[in-house]
Amino acid sequence: MTRPEAEQKLKQSFNLDHFYDDQWKTIERILNGERILLIEKTGFGKSLCYQFPATQFEGMTIIFSPLIALMRDQVKYLKSIGINCECINSGQEAEENTEILENAVNGKIKILYIAPERQENQQWTEAVRMMNLSMVVVDEAHCISVWGHDFRPAFMRIISLVRLLPENFPVLATTATATQKVADDIIQQIGRNVSLIRGNLLRKNFYLSVVKVDDEISKMAWIAQFLQKQAGNGLIYTGTRVNTDLYAAWLQSENISAANYNAGLDSDSRKDIENGLQENRWKCIVSTNALGMGIDKPDVRFIIHTQMPQSPIHYYQEIGRAGRDGLPTNIILLYNPEDKELPEHFIKNSRPSLKKYEKVIEALKKEPLGEWNLMRKTNLTQTQVRVIRADLIDQGIIREVMYGRDKKYEYQFGASQLDIESFEKLRDFKMNELDQMVNYCESTECRMDFLCSYLGDDSVKKCDNCNNCLQRNPQYFPDNYWKARIRKFQQDFYPELEVETGSSNIVNGIAASYYGFSNVGAIIHRCKYEKGGDFPNHLLILTLRAFRHKFEDEKFDLIVYVPPTESGDLVKNFAYKIARTLRFPFSDKLKKVHHTKPQKIFQNYVLKRDNVKDVFSYENEAEIFGKKILLIDDIFDSGATIKEIAKMFTKIGAEIIAPLVIAKTIGGDL
Amino acid sequence: MENLENSSYWMALAHLPRWRTERINRLIVDILQEKKMTYAEFFSLDKNNWQNEFELNSNEIAELETAKKELPNYSFLAESLINQGYNIVPIDSADYSPTLKANLKLKFSPPVIYIKGNKQLLQEDTVAIVGSRNASDISLQFTKTVAQKCAKEYKVVVSGFAKGVDKKALDETLAVVGHSIIVLPQGIMTFSSGFRKYYSQIVQGDVLVLSTFHPKVPWSAGLAMSRNVYIYGLAKTIYAAESDSKGGTWSGVLDGLKKGREIYVRKPGSDEKNANELLILAGAKPVDSDGNILIEESSYLQTRLKDMLSSQSFTIEEIIEKLKLKIESENFSKILSGLDFIERKRINKQNYFYLKERVESQMELF
Repeated sequence: MTRPEAEQKLKQSFNLDHFYDDQWKTIERILNGERILLIEKTGFGKSLCYQFPATQFEGMTIIFSPLIALMRDQVKYLKSIGINCECINSGQEAEENTEILENAVNGKIKILYIAPERQENQQWTEAVRMMNLSMVVVDEAHCISVWGHDFRPAFMRIISLVRLLPENFPVLATTATATQKVADDIIQQIGRNVSLIRGNLLRKNFYLSVVKVDDEISKMAWIAQFLQKQAGNGLIYTGTRVNTDLYAAWLQSENISAANYNAGLDSDSRKDIENGLQENRWKCIVSTNALGMGIDKPDVRFIIHTQMPQSPIHYYQEIGRAGRDGLPTNIILLYNPEDKELPEHFIKNSRPSLKKYEKVIEALKKEPLGEWNLMRKTNLTQTQVRVIRADLIDQGIIREVMYGRDKKYEYQFGASQLDIESFEKLRDFKMNELDQMVNYCESTECRMDFLCSYLGDDSVKKCDNCNNCLQRNPQYFPDNYWKARIRKFQQDFYPELEVETGSSNIVNGIAASYYGFSNVGAIIHRCKYEKGGDFPNHLLILTLRAFRHKFEDEKFDLIVYVPPTESGDLVKNFAYKIARTLRFPFSDKLKKVHHTKPQKIFQNYVLKRDNVKDVFSYENEAEIFGKKILLIDDIFDSGATIKEIAKMFTKIGAEIIAPLVIAKTIGGDL
Repeated sequence: MENLENSSYWMALAHLPRWRTERINRLIVDILQEKKMTYAEFFSLDKNNWQNEFELNSNEIAELETAKKELPNYSFLAESLINQGYNIVPIDSADYSPTLKANLKLKFSPPVIYIKGNKQLLQEDTVAIVGSRNASDISLQFTKTVAQKCAKEYKVVVSGFAKGVDKKALDETLAVVGHSIIVLPQGIMTFSSGFRKYYSQIVQGDVLVLSTFHPKVPWSAGLAMSRNVYIYGLAKTIYAAESDSKGGTWSGVLDGLKKGREIYVRKPGSDEKNANELLILAGAKPVDSDGNILIEESSYLQTRLKDMLSSQSFTIEEIIEKLKLKIESENFSKILSGLDFIERKRINKQNYFYLKERVESQMELF
């Protein structure tokens, strides 16, 4: 096919007049059965490089993409121009996925989007054996490389798949963000004659600046003022989940519409926020880096970071989705030199101790185990188990094996010793990247040049838009007015307990504070473990305030408290005082059927849940029927205990169970 | 590490429908050795080249065309296999069992084997102990003795994982921490319960699981029968504990003998009702209850047969009746035809068997 012929077809099916040169270069080679790594900035039109050839091939094209939201958008677009295209993902009903698979087997689908994790699904592997396949595309290919900013273990399987595909079978890997090291790694991993096509990275419409501040309060105040002037909608990235909560609440209290988004939300809520973003439902979305790659919105007008990312490559990626329409876009990083500590902590603790790796290996030498049973046997957190598992699979020490529908991990006979040298190398590399991120913040040269050079594009020199090119050096110190506003906000800020599930009548509750945020945690600890006596009055006042904030004048029929494991009558006395103040009936009939171990010795949700399963009973069950119950505890961690009690109360007819606690821990597992 | 990139080619060729094993193996030899091509090069040839250079007929070409289309599908399957810790071993791999190749030659050697566990076991000295699914206690005791003796000599016991003797051989070997190869009558991805059961032995390197069939194909009687060939093929030495006069062990041993294999059969007691004696008659070597080779001038049945036929010729039915054998005449007839001291002649549409020497001596008289 010649370029004019192809462009004629392009006009017919995509209603576009011509290809860019790099697009055509890529397409020509794909049609020729080659393997390509395509690195082009966001907005270049990478997807056309596979969508067009896909329509020209006889069989079906499979696109592996980690981003459900993006897949959905593309499917919608392709369907709208009459191309048979579907997407299989875990967010859809099983029946829907099954039907799509059938259509794919019967040759009714031209382009099929799937998540890399699908390679682990038996129904998929059965079906794919019978499909007529013409091309495989790996979107967001940087996820292949541990040297990139978003390595994902599920991509390891995509790599082995691509390696096993026959020669002359076209494969396209695409990404917007890859350093030379990452590109080399991808090419080396994909194997067999991959050629690289790489475009320039300059984003002309980006106004990059770094604003220097001294503390968190300054950031909050700066953002509130900035958003009053800034037109359009955008994103705010924070470093932690708790901060998404905090910043969103702060902006709301300033009458700026904001939503918070993080990986702790369930998929429905996330989908809803993603849709809201498209519709400009809020001025801004406050998010961790869980949101980012999935955004296909032309007019994200600003992106503010309250926390420097781990590396310039993370940063370039996170700001990448802004300003796709080419109009001026503000890209701001709020920089406090102390912020280096958080990513530093993440990097240093990204891998569990050697002893924990050994624990997993020993457990798997005895029997094949699934993830939850592995957590049970090792008492490690889910995150630790996942990190260790991915490393062990990568080193060929364990394998992921299907036992019917269940995924289990098997130790491999003849496996080599755990190689920790590679972990250290990677950690050193990441520390170095973090230093580069600090250098970006401190740099007085062109910021766009800094980022592009870091990503292997030396062509920029001077962008004329960043605060350095414009010779500005922004710093910000809040005045007393803003300090007072923020102090008031902090006093009224109570962490939500997100516990609502479909399986019981529990509703979301509230905590008086975060455990580690103020001195609340220390006070609780002193009372519980150092014989410090009853919880002091100001905790009672704070907790009552939290209650009013969440439930206002709502009446409850009964106050019960979580029976203690080892700290005596502290919670009982505390709950009694609350009952007396609120004038709700108090009950101490909630009991444990047998002794439990303290929840805090269990590192993961599975073991915590096992520990309290079927442990609670209520002495006079008839008393509970149709009642609204306020359930009191001191500390909320995983929520396993409270959910278990709610289950029991629901069974005996409670109408509502609402939890109220003094403190919520930060970063409970699961 | 083998060149895993070729997995999809190996599998596509190995599972070509309607192709005989020998045809597939000859093609592989032709591609790799004669023409010194890679599989990728072979599959990128057009039909004319296939026809001219590889002398393939139109049916074969059509089937290869289909296989070529299925290559990416095999890639997906291969990825799934490799990810789950299975090895795909093609016939030209150094990991492939040399014993299997030597015994079965190009004619019957499976083009690809699928394995999980300690692949080194394929390189070691191997023994198979075969026998009936409902063997007697004596046979099971024999199986135990031989299996444990082999284990002590660091021999690998090849087991077909069937009930009776097969299972006993496996269990007794593992009881003394010996090494074993389990040869599956099914695809290797359909053996979850077995992998669960032998997990620790696999992890410790005592067991290798092997299948010659498409990884996803479930158990069937047909596969169980064809699997026997591979058990015999994988073993350097074969012991038969007990055989009926029909069924898997029976046909397996006879097939082995026909291929020139030396097979040791447990010498049965006079009151045993199995067909071991018949196998000895057919050429298997008798061994005692400990597996030691018995040196016999001629076998018990052979002596009686010779006595009986020394004076007179008989029909097959008459011989079976007089010797009180339990065997179908057709099967026995096959055995007698294979014996060098017996001949048969046809009189009035009946076959009569007689001793070769007797006839010859009579001939001389004339």
